[in-house]
Amino acid sequence: MAIRINPQLIDVLDRFGAEDVQLCYQCGDCTTVCHHADEVFAFPRKSMRQLQMGLEQKIETALEPWLCYYCGQCSEQCPREADPGETMMSLRRWLIGRYDFTGIAKQFFKSRVTEILAVVGVAVLTGLFLFYYGFTRGNINVYDGEGAFLPSDFIHRFDLIIGSVMLLFVIINAARMWYFTMIMGSKVAIPWWLYIKHILVLPWQFFTQKRYAKCENERDKPIFMPWIIHLGLMLGYLIMLLLVMVFIEQLQTGPAINWKVHIFGYLATIGLTIGTIYFIRSRLSKNYVQYKKSHGTDWVFVTMLFIIVVTGIAQHILHRVGLFESANVMYVVHLMVVVPWLLRMPFSKWAHLVFRPLGMYFAAIQKEAILRQEAISGTFAISIK
Amino acid sequence: MRTGIFFCQVEDGKNLNIDAIAKYSANLTGVEIVQIMGFRPHLDVNTLRELILTNNLDRIVVAGDMPGYFKPVFTKAMALAGRNPEEVRLASFQEHGAKGDVALDRAKATVACANMAVPFSLVAVPSGNPVSHATLVIGGGIAGIQASLEIANAGKLVYLVEQTGTIGGHMAMFDKTFPTLDCAACILTPKMVSVGQHDMINLLTNSRVTEVSGKPGAYRVKIHQRARKVDVESCVACNICVEVCPVKVESEFDSKISFRKAIYIPFPQAVPNAYLVDNEHCSFILSEGQKCGVCVKKCPKECINLNAPDKDFDIEVGNIIIATGYELLDVGKIEQYGYGKFPNVLTSLEFERLTNASGTTGGRIVTKSKRINKKTDKEEWFFASDGIPPRSVAIIHCVGSRNKKYNAYCSRVCCMYSLKFAHLIKEKIPNVNVYEFYIDMRAFGKGYEEFAERIRHEGTFVVRGHSASVTMDNDHLIVKGEDIMIERLVEFKVDMVILAVGLIPAPGTEELSRILGINRDSDGWFSELDYNGNPTDTERGGIYVAGMCQAPKDIPDTVAQASAVAAGVLRSITSGKGIGHLSNVSLSDIEARAKTVHTL
Repeated sequence: MAIRINPQLIDVLDRFGAEDVQLCYQCGDCTTVCHHADEVFAFPRKSMRQLQMGLEQKIETALEPWLCYYCGQCSEQCPREADPGETMMSLRRWLIGRYDFTGIAKQFFKSRVTEILAVVGVAVLTGLFLFYYGFTRGNINVYDGEGAFLPSDFIHRFDLIIGSVMLLFVIINAARMWYFTMIMGSKVAIPWWLYIKHILVLPWQFFTQKRYAKCENERDKPIFMPWIIHLGLMLGYLIMLLLVMVFIEQLQTGPAINWKVHIFGYLATIGLTIGTIYFIRSRLSKNYVQYKKSHGTDWVFVTMLFIIVVTGIAQHILHRVGLFESANVMYVVHLMVVVPWLLRMPFSKWAHLVFRPLGMYFAAIQKEAILRQEAISGTFAISIK
Repeated sequence: MRTGIFFCQVEDGKNLNIDAIAKYSANLTGVEIVQIMGFRPHLDVNTLRELILTNNLDRIVVAGDMPGYFKPVFTKAMALAGRNPEEVRLASFQEHGAKGDVALDRAKATVACANMAVPFSLVAVPSGNPVSHATLVIGGGIAGIQASLEIANAGKLVYLVEQTGTIGGHMAMFDKTFPTLDCAACILTPKMVSVGQHDMINLLTNSRVTEVSGKPGAYRVKIHQRARKVDVESCVACNICVEVCPVKVESEFDSKISFRKAIYIPFPQAVPNAYLVDNEHCSFILSEGQKCGVCVKKCPKECINLNAPDKDFDIEVGNIIIATGYELLDVGKIEQYGYGKFPNVLTSLEFERLTNASGTTGGRIVTKSKRINKKTDKEEWFFASDGIPPRSVAIIHCVGSRNKKYNAYCSRVCCMYSLKFAHLIKEKIPNVNVYEFYIDMRAFGKGYEEFAERIRHEGTFVVRGHSASVTMDNDHLIVKGEDIMIERLVEFKVDMVILAVGLIPAPGTEELSRILGINRDSDGWFSELDYNGNPTDTERGGIYVAGMCQAPKDIPDTVAQASAVAAGVLRSITSGKGIGHLSNVSLSDIEARAKTVHTL
């Protein structure tokens, strides 16, 4: 099959953060030091090479970027300072844009202005709508129950609508990812039962992120900090999403604390607070290789999450202490950030929550398929193809 | 001729007083008009044509740092005015070195020459200083030896200053040379002996240059010679002193893989072939005569004098050749290769000494053995001559070279000596596996590509891809890398790893550059005058560079450069010209000479 070359690809990736790819001279040091590179998926050098050559079709069907957790070892070792770790990160951004059929994600990654304008625009619209709804239907001095400013059953419906729309986008994009990587990109035929055999990879990697922990074996002091904090952030986020989507009505009753529900909310908040503060601090201090370069979308991501956490905590406290008017205003502010955040989900860095475990799942399937093929043919299937 | 002089600057030459040059040019013969056009002027052909016609100009001189940039406009204007377009002359300040103290005079001289249509380089020839016929060569490696022999064989006196106790340098440590696999000692030792015996070579071992003054053609050099403490003339190298000496020191000549005594001879073929005492380790000298002194008592020729004082010489030389060579990068700081941590990770020079027939194992390639040091009661690793040969060896190229963290440059010789190592291992150990990890195979010289091809055919596993990880697993070293040809990670269990370590300038290069007033480039090597045109000269007249101290190069290139340097030295001695620097030529000299050339 003829392969079409896109010579501009490397310039496109520049916008996504991969600035130094051309410096690479293919020594393979990065692959050697990578803890995740194995006999089938040897990266990041291969991705660097494909980028240099503009093999767009190969890159868009590649699973390698999703196998990298960016420990930064490769960038630290690189004799050319070509920053392979950042390249993998940029490829993930680019792939999110590639999987997204609407093209919105690509615009967000390419232009910080577009993204911020979209976020601010949606926030303002949300604020106007909520204030209009609240003032016409309810009383700003009532927080919950009869005549509430923002009744929780309304918020529940509102959440479910936004959530299901976004879920639809995520599912379509994930399906596109499957098509790209497993149908277009697979080097060998994949038996259907491998999908079942490796299905446990999906929840295992999703809930434990064990691969990330592996990244830190080589640190001077492997205290597994980024892994634990990242995991805490993710689990906290997940619990909170579940609470908001399903249990919002129990969550919003008060002012007495409903421990059965709220205990989960507090746990999630702890994870979210520590996580956002840790990552904002790391990105500011640039203490590790992986935090040296921050793309605009990374900042939007952590900042928005941080604002959501702070306003969420604030409205909760205001509600409990009985300042209903302030609690309502704070709630609107909270939702003004939450809504653009939710709408942004499938088009942003957030999508790696879905794509990364999927990528590892697909990689596990492909790896076995390729190794089986090699065992039969007695050669490297990859090098033949 | 009626001349118009136009000053057109491209760079903002703040250090150059254009007004002063213009004033000077106005007084030159035949100059009609002088115009300062300014910084990057926009020239109009028609205005210039008018100017030429109104002033009736026959010749135009464009002066400036890069006047060639403006030449086409003036040529066109001359042609439009119906004058000879050939008569647009350039006075280029930059090209003729108008900078620093000489800037103003040099600029004036270029204008004067252009005004008379005389090429600057034809008249601005530095007149010959009276040249001292003696030459100083700093460094007794193959470059210094070659240059000394060339000059001495032409009948001129050479002072060869060597820091260590013997000449020979790094080449004396080598077993074979690539790509011909000739025995290095067979090439070098006859040359060393010639140096030792030559009437015209004054060999000063154990010596350093401490001060250089004077000017090209007559440098006054101070040399400090540490006392050898053994009389070279009467020593017969009977080895009795070594047998009785109680102090053991790591041998520098053996890359510290074996031991020598505090009184020692670096290697049996050393020139001068006499023993010397290591002041830093001799107990007699360290205790200021209180202890030891056994060698003095035992010496049958009574030629050891441990109280001999150091000497200082003052010599006058016409030319100085720098041939100080290189050393290896400290590979311990590149942690991923585990050098210093794992016993069987060797640097290239260590392996070179191991495989050398005159080395500690007699040329057997073995892995290190363990023994208990009786004094410290600790385990230590050493090369025993009955050690176990390795079953597999990995050779890693580009260790510290082509790496922005260490040396950005290519060390140029590593690819070839690594291939040579592969051959030597294959030759000496049957059924051995050799793995070469390389990034790019730089086989650039005569016969090198064929040599690389030959090694491949000998069955060496040549892995295209670097290795950045050497780890230990039980008794084996694990070398991991990526073979980029098949895009696979490869992992080999080996018994020995050889690191092709990058090269850096020899220790003391910085100090020497200060003493001699020679610049070094950003990597620390001595700067030549012009890499293409004058690769052996330096900015100071009468000082030359040869061999590795200028940049990494292999033995053939080093020898060729050393001979080229000798040619430069002999030219200056026989002609008495060209040794002076242009800065010694005054403006009036150039004017006068230009006039004579002009009237011719």
